[in-house]
Amino acid sequence: MSGAGPAIVVRGLSKSFGRFQAVKGISFDVAAGEIVGFLGPNGAGKTTTIKMITGLLKITSGQVLVDGLDNAEHLAEVKGKLGYMSQKFSLYPLLTAQENIEFFAGISGLAPGALGAQVERLRQQVPAPLLRLKIHDVPPGIRQKVALAVCLLPGPPIILLDEPTSGVDPEARRSFWSEIYALKTAGKTLLVSTHNLDEAEYCDRILIIHNGEIVAAGAPDELLRQRRKAGIEELFMDAIRDHGQD
Amino acid sequence: MGRIKAIVAKEFLHILRDPRSLTMVFITPLVMIFVLGYSVSYDLNRVDAAVIDLAQSRLSRQLVKAFAANRVFVVRTQGASNRTLSLAEAEEMLRRQEIREIIVIPADLSQRLATAGQGEIGLVIDGSDTNVANLVYQYTERILLEFNSGLLGAGGAAGPLLTLDTKIYFNPEARSQFFFIPGLVAVILLMISAMLTSLSISRERETGSIALLFISPLRSVEIIVGKTIPFILVALLDGAVILLFARFWFGIPLRGNLAVLLVFALLYIIAGLSLGILISTSAPNQKVAMLATLLSTMLPSFLLSGFIFPLDSLSPVLQAISYAIPATYFLRIIRGVVLKGAELRHFLFEGGMLIALSVLLLAAATRKFNRQRKAAQ
Repeated sequence: MSGAGPAIVVRGLSKSFGRFQAVKGISFDVAAGEIVGFLGPNGAGKTTTIKMITGLLKITSGQVLVDGLDNAEHLAEVKGKLGYMSQKFSLYPLLTAQENIEFFAGISGLAPGALGAQVERLRQQVPAPLLRLKIHDVPPGIRQKVALAVCLLPGPPIILLDEPTSGVDPEARRSFWSEIYALKTAGKTLLVSTHNLDEAEYCDRILIIHNGEIVAAGAPDELLRQRRKAGIEELFMDAIRDHGQD
Repeated sequence: MGRIKAIVAKEFLHILRDPRSLTMVFITPLVMIFVLGYSVSYDLNRVDAAVIDLAQSRLSRQLVKAFAANRVFVVRTQGASNRTLSLAEAEEMLRRQEIREIIVIPADLSQRLATAGQGEIGLVIDGSDTNVANLVYQYTERILLEFNSGLLGAGGAAGPLLTLDTKIYFNPEARSQFFFIPGLVAVILLMISAMLTSLSISRERETGSIALLFISPLRSVEIIVGKTIPFILVALLDGAVILLFARFWFGIPLRGNLAVLLVFALLYIIAGLSLGILISTSAPNQKVAMLATLLSTMLPSFLLSGFIFPLDSLSPVLQAISYAIPATYFLRIIRGVVLKGAELRHFLFEGGMLIALSVLLLAAATRKFNRQRKAAQ
């Protein structure tokens, strides 16, 4: 990270699919070293936004800067700075955890020796027999850990996690958020999308997105105080209602 | 009744709102009836024949003229350096599939006609395609009968004057399996090769793992080459298994060099794998990819490659299309190597076309894959 400014800057970002506008000119920053929660119901525009940041989806209008670099002009360098974990984990079901890691390390151009840290980290978290099973046969919680290990392989400073906790049990969710904190402690910047509103409490700041528009942004406690709400769900409903009236 | 009505209404909505399936339902039969209508024919539009005129008499020249005057026969009487064709040269042409038959007019034809009242014309037919061989024999016999009636008119002698002494090369027992099974190997190999890559890439799209490949430093060409190499080995192994099965179960001979077949099979498989990648770039899921692969490999390979119907029987438009089908070339190669013991030098054109098609398909697949990747970005 250059450290000069925000890790991610999004300005007037829009995405249209035909006549349907999935993301409507949103703007936000993610400061270096913070965990930002990207909250919203299914279909709100979270995945579309994250895919535009990674360069996986063409931007209709607007701009994305990653560590100061415009991703439309410096996509290869931007990709080098980003780790991306997709909603479906997207691992190869017939490969074991170790084989998946070796494959993704290979395509990232990492030498086998450079795998030590990630494999060791995974070994500490996952029982050895499970690591030898095909990904298809392991529980979603383990798949999630392997997908995170894959995402961290090239050592990216900025990590985009798209719905990483969907479909896993509460225990695995809690354990996963401990992982996210550990990454923050290690100096990483994280943008985590989720439709589980109660996960907002884990984040330094949250962005609430609804129908392709950001309807609230700030630290969870601050937002609750400002809007005089007791919980995130109430806050979310209030923000949507306010935005609808605008 | 109301419950059935609900199902009927739902099915109609599904049919109407799935434009791909709807297109397939209406377009496929139209394409099939068009292609089948023009290709289901055993009539030959052209029979290439080498005529070796050893007699060089007035009568033999008249006979050569009779063949040359027929609109179906294309007669070749000269070999290298404009010399009269030798039998060895003509046999080589038969092996290269440049001609379908050799007509040999013996030196003593006039003498025999004068002394015995009849003479034999030698006929050597390429028997590798049993149906075509039958047609070629019938066409040749018909011209000879007409020629005989001309002679009868002139001389008034009784009985046929000229008869055919026929030899069938490459498949003397006229076993149709000898013709069909090497062809089947070619068709199956193309289908399997294309299926391997088309399903592999559409599976990645379905599971979302293609996004991780796109976001990695991998270039599109690296993804495609990396995906192709293992499938080349799988398809080669597959080809070897079906060829062994054809050899030992159906008793198909292997008269040529296996290494020659392997070289051409490699090119053919690369063309098939590239076709599969090209298909996968337009297929949203594995189901569509499989259907599109089956249609685009099986249909043209069965109907337009010479597998069942001779290319000479196709309309000019379909003949032109047949040049773009990899199976057209590999069919000639596999039948030539397996049944005729043909060698590498006999298939320089077919090999060149397979290389051209492989390069073209691979370039088109890479370009489309790359454009798709960039369009997303």
